[in-house]
Amino acid sequence: MAPLKNLETEYPIIDSNFQNFCASHGIFSVEDFLIHDLYMLAAFAEQNVSSERLKEGITQILSIIDDMHQPWLNGMELLEDAKRNKHFLPTGIQGVDLLLGGGIRVGQLTELVGPSASGKTQVCLQTASNVARNYMMLYLDTGNSFSPQRIAYFLGKTNELASAQAKNQILQKVMSNILCHSVFDIFAMFDVLHQLESNLRCQERGGGCRIRLLIVDSISLLIAPVLGGTSTRGRALMASAGYLLKKLAHQHNLAVLVINHTVGSEGGTSKPALGDSWKSIPHSRLLLSCDRGSNVYNVSILKHPSMVCWG
Amino acid sequence: MGSKAWLVEDESAREMLDRVLTERPFLLLPPLHRVPLRVGNIVEIVGPSPSAKTHILIQAAITCILPRQWKGVNYGGLGHLAMFLDLDCRFDISRFSDLLNHRIMEAANGSSSEVDCQIKESEAQNATTKPYNEELFASCMRRFLYIRCYDSSEFLATLKTLHYRLQKERETHGVNVHVLLIDSIGAFHWIDRGSSSFSLEGDTRKSLHLQSVTETVVQEIRKLLLVHPMLVMATKAAVLGNRYSMNDSKRNYRTWSAKDNLHSRNVTSSDQQVPYREYMPAVWQSLITHRILVRTTDADFVNGEHQNVSTYLSEWLLPPLNSVDKFIVRDVRKHSCFAVFKKKNQISTLSFSCI
Repeated sequence: MAPLKNLETEYPIIDSNFQNFCASHGIFSVEDFLIHDLYMLAAFAEQNVSSERLKEGITQILSIIDDMHQPWLNGMELLEDAKRNKHFLPTGIQGVDLLLGGGIRVGQLTELVGPSASGKTQVCLQTASNVARNYMMLYLDTGNSFSPQRIAYFLGKTNELASAQAKNQILQKVMSNILCHSVFDIFAMFDVLHQLESNLRCQERGGGCRIRLLIVDSISLLIAPVLGGTSTRGRALMASAGYLLKKLAHQHNLAVLVINHTVGSEGGTSKPALGDSWKSIPHSRLLLSCDRGSNVYNVSILKHPSMVCWG
Repeated sequence: MGSKAWLVEDESAREMLDRVLTERPFLLLPPLHRVPLRVGNIVEIVGPSPSAKTHILIQAAITCILPRQWKGVNYGGLGHLAMFLDLDCRFDISRFSDLLNHRIMEAANGSSSEVDCQIKESEAQNATTKPYNEELFASCMRRFLYIRCYDSSEFLATLKTLHYRLQKERETHGVNVHVLLIDSIGAFHWIDRGSSSFSLEGDTRKSLHLQSVTETVVQEIRKLLLVHPMLVMATKAAVLGNRYSMNDSKRNYRTWSAKDNLHSRNVTSSDQQVPYREYMPAVWQSLITHRILVRTTDADFVNGEHQNVSTYLSEWLLPPLNSVDKFIVRDVRKHSCFAVFKKKNQISTLSFSCI
């Protein structure tokens, strides 16, 4: 929240007279203007000696506020952006790709929920190995579950017919395309994500190889410790994390995949962790379950923006 | 006596009624059609997540942007602009365009003769991603205005500059904005509550916490509606009470602290009131003129088709009509990943429709 006087060099209309006038109404920065009634302020300015200049100052502030929100778009512009940038990243797992209509969607936050040992990390690693053939990706590992050997195994399975040299080349390329960070608490994740955001903003002007996929395995391990109790801070952090991920996804054209675990609920069934406040944050939610006896993994959709789902 | 001289007759009561009904028509938007809505109304659509709330907003927007008539076909829309404030940041434009395209096709097919109808249906089957009528589609899409807000500051900034934006759009398109859609109003609730409300620099400085943000939002909307009459529709995600509990809704409501009691009231279904937990501050609740509750139900399926159909119940809380309506949303996807691939002869009659 920069104070108003910092704006004086750029906008000379915001001079000390204007600043004093605003200070007398309890406004010290541009953000304060957001929760004050600007028409009342203009009415007060009328009664002042230098009313014209003050009103010009208020108009200038309004145009600064106009830069503080996202740009307005119409339907055709949105559709063009979706067609050009927001395509699908195939995971390489047939069931998941079929269910999602092609793969994980760029620009959206996809959540994978499942009880422990249901194969969530395997899905992540398989997706990572598939996407990293063509794009860079960032893997945020919270539980030391990232395994390069497993990635190599997945690559080996899909390239069985290639020569040893070709296999090696692909392996090198995939491994260099995966950036793996270990984060053990939510603040470390915010750090990494903010740094990623500023890197991506710089890269936008410079071009070059860009990250397309972000996997957080698992986000529930980061959020669960701060949730609970009577404090609302935990939920505020969770909501902020969700919005930051969605912002990264949409503005920088990433696909984001987060992992969540399940907890017990009434009646002995299980439900996704992190509660109702988290429920409405991801775009799509997939439920993964494993049938021990037959070693079959099932994926079903809990929520999707364009499919009807049950419960 | 010259008393009548300063009373100049403008129009008779009948003329005024005619004018108002044409300029500010009553809208019957399914599934909200039990209560006619017009500009100046502020409708709140409450429901757990997911429960077709955004779908209702999208259908309202489509009704607004479709023209009344175009090249001889009656589309039944308003031909005005629709503004969508996406606070949830989960809006999917491809779904919106599919729905718009479907409504255009439906209207066009409905008013043509039998023979043409069959031809058009087979054309529609073969059409992949091309819209049915490109020119109309493009002109409608251009009347849909969209903005995303990632936090309360952006939302407030949008509202503060909305007056000028509305004027500008009116000049560009020549028509007014008729509906303002907000999805969803409680999106930043936890983030705003989490930011501290201690006052700095004495008591004259307000900070961006839940109460001040909501008061400003309400104030801005009220002022906007004075100058730009619009129909405002806002969704709100809520946790349902025991009366409607499904597996995981049985929860013990924590006792609210004294500070929270100023902001919200915890209403249970025991008193003849709303069956969900209200969390928006009282100032927002006083702005609302209409409220409807929607929720999913795994009730009986319609006509035996159980594929791609989702049933919802809706109940008007304000004005309180003691009736519960059922509506279904059917799925239409051209690139379906289910069994439709195999059955090429099957006519894709599955459609997004609200009855």
